[in-house]
Amino acid sequence: MDDQRWRSGPTPAEYSPAGEELAELRELLLGADRQRILEIERRLDAAGVTGEELAELLPEAIVLRARRDRQLARALAPTIETAISESVRRNPREIATAIFPVLGPAIRKAIAEALAGLAASINHAIEHSISPRGLAWRVEGWRTGVPYAQVVLKHALIYRVEQLFLIHADTSLLLAQAAPPDRALADADLVSGMLTAIRDFVGDAFGPEREAGGLRTFSVGELTVLVEQGPAAILAAVVRGQAPESLHQRLQETLEAVHFQFAAPLAQFDGDAAPFEPAVPLLEGCLETRLSTDRPAETRRRALWLPWAIAATLVAAVAGWLIVRSNREWNGALARLRAEPGIVLVSAERDWGRWRLSGLRDPLAADPAGVLASLDLDTARVTARWAPYLSAHPAFVRARAAAGAPAGLLALQRSIQRERVLFPIGSAALAEGGHEAIARVAASLAPLDSLVATLGGRATIALVGRSDPSGSDATNSALSRLRVESVRAALTERGVAADQLQLQPVGAASPLPADDAALRSTINRSVSFEVRIE
Amino acid sequence: MMQKKVCMVGLFATGKTSMVQRFVHSRFSDRYLSTVGVKIDRKEVEVDGAAVTFMLWDLAGRDGFEDITPSYLRGSHGILYVADGTRPETWAQLGELSALARDAAGEVPSVLAINKCDLRDQWMLGPADEAALAARWDVVRTSAKTGEGVEEAFRRLGRGTLARREAGR
Repeated sequence: MDDQRWRSGPTPAEYSPAGEELAELRELLLGADRQRILEIERRLDAAGVTGEELAELLPEAIVLRARRDRQLARALAPTIETAISESVRRNPREIATAIFPVLGPAIRKAIAEALAGLAASINHAIEHSISPRGLAWRVEGWRTGVPYAQVVLKHALIYRVEQLFLIHADTSLLLAQAAPPDRALADADLVSGMLTAIRDFVGDAFGPEREAGGLRTFSVGELTVLVEQGPAAILAAVVRGQAPESLHQRLQETLEAVHFQFAAPLAQFDGDAAPFEPAVPLLEGCLETRLSTDRPAETRRRALWLPWAIAATLVAAVAGWLIVRSNREWNGALARLRAEPGIVLVSAERDWGRWRLSGLRDPLAADPAGVLASLDLDTARVTARWAPYLSAHPAFVRARAAAGAPAGLLALQRSIQRERVLFPIGSAALAEGGHEAIARVAASLAPLDSLVATLGGRATIALVGRSDPSGSDATNSALSRLRVESVRAALTERGVAADQLQLQPVGAASPLPADDAALRSTINRSVSFEVRIE
Repeated sequence: MMQKKVCMVGLFATGKTSMVQRFVHSRFSDRYLSTVGVKIDRKEVEVDGAAVTFMLWDLAGRDGFEDITPSYLRGSHGILYVADGTRPETWAQLGELSALARDAAGEVPSVLAINKCDLRDQWMLGPADEAALAARWDVVRTSAKTGEGVEEAFRRLGRGTLARREAGR
């Protein structure tokens, strides 16, 4: 029979009155068969597709629908939620095992963020603590160049992980063990069993806390045992000293790695620990955790050379200061020697603290060693060579004239200075005796000049004109001037160079001494001679 | 090395501790039994040429089976039940004990050691009772004092745990 024909035909309810006859005819012809065909048609419509067909189509259908809208997800959500909650209720361990590797890192991340804030505030508190210990640590930090927080860590967190046990959670059997070679426990299997038993005991004794992970830490003297519980395995670490909280995290990460890498062996474990040998390096990674002070190696290096740098700077500063001081001494000494009359500095050198000087020195000049000693210099390090010479410095000429001059010179000087040209009262005209005295002086001058010239000097004659005290000062001064001028004129007439003569009219200001008042007046109406050697 | 966790279960003074004392490596003192309720020892057994290390969990048995901590039984590969041939209550309660063990550890190989077989004059286990027990358990008569049957009991248990492993493969 052709189904298609029946399906495309009109349903009985739709028959038009005009088609009633045809319907009747059909009823007559087909009768009960027609009822059955209609029933089959209804069933086919209701069933739509078979289970097998559905299985074929379902994945594709889900993909197609999910692309179109979120209706499918909305429809499935309540069912999935119920399924999960039912699964958790029936067997929580299945779900826990499945999500353990995912959940651990996520939770840790959240906790780490929360703790970071806490750590910052603790840090703040520590930084502001002024306890003696805090100050001591602060000094240590300053001295070693390590940040203060790390100094605190160093003192607070010295520890060493000595043993690690990886224990199968269900059977309490030892899966793997890590320890430094000399510290490996022969009875690690017994210890791990007992450790689990004690954890069970504590868990049973304290009931609900067990759900939160059971016994995580316990201490025996210096040793602390940290226990991390996973769904299939337990990691226990025996730590000497103060175990930091970060170690828990490290153990957790290791345990997660073990769960991840050994998921199948853990599930199928039946007493054979051989498949867990590759886990030993993982465990060994937790051994001998570095000290917090090991990390800033660079800072420590800096700290090591810092004292040297300070010492070198000090040495350089001292050396620099010494050099500056030495230069100042040297330049000062040279300037002083150059200023000294009778000393001519020709060369001056110095090296390695020794001074070498050479030059000319007048025998009458000051002793150079004495000059240097007067500057507080160590003369022992001065080597000097002085060639003798005669200085034309007036002081030396005079001194030589006075001390080393020949007897003739002194005699000539004395004879010239003994001469006196006398004048009558109130007159500047030369008298007879005056011309004779002038003649004698002029005669003495020539040998005097030549003698002085041999000493390197030059002689001049001062004409000192005086008057007696009678009369006004103005008159006396004018009179004494007229008197020296007339003597000069008389001398130049006799060939004496005018520039060799100096006029010195003093009036009645510095009279020549005499006991008798009349004689005093007579000898002061005069011009006398003073020989000067320059 | 194959390791197996084996729990020794039995009422107070059935001789569990004495039974293993002479044969095992002991690290922990018996004091643990009264404090923590368990003491763990190691026993190495050779079963058909294969070495098996038993981690023996000696569970404290006091006045009744309620005293046994179920979590200690978890994960056991085998259970050695110990009864005292001179005290009927020690085998009368075996059913309840094994039910407890089954809850905690599931169906695992087990052996029943009826201990103190050296005390023949005080022996209370009649042939009928023994036959009834043998119908349900793998029974070994043991004497912790003379050592009789002890090795055998462990060997049988070892065979059981290894066979289970083979079957599981």
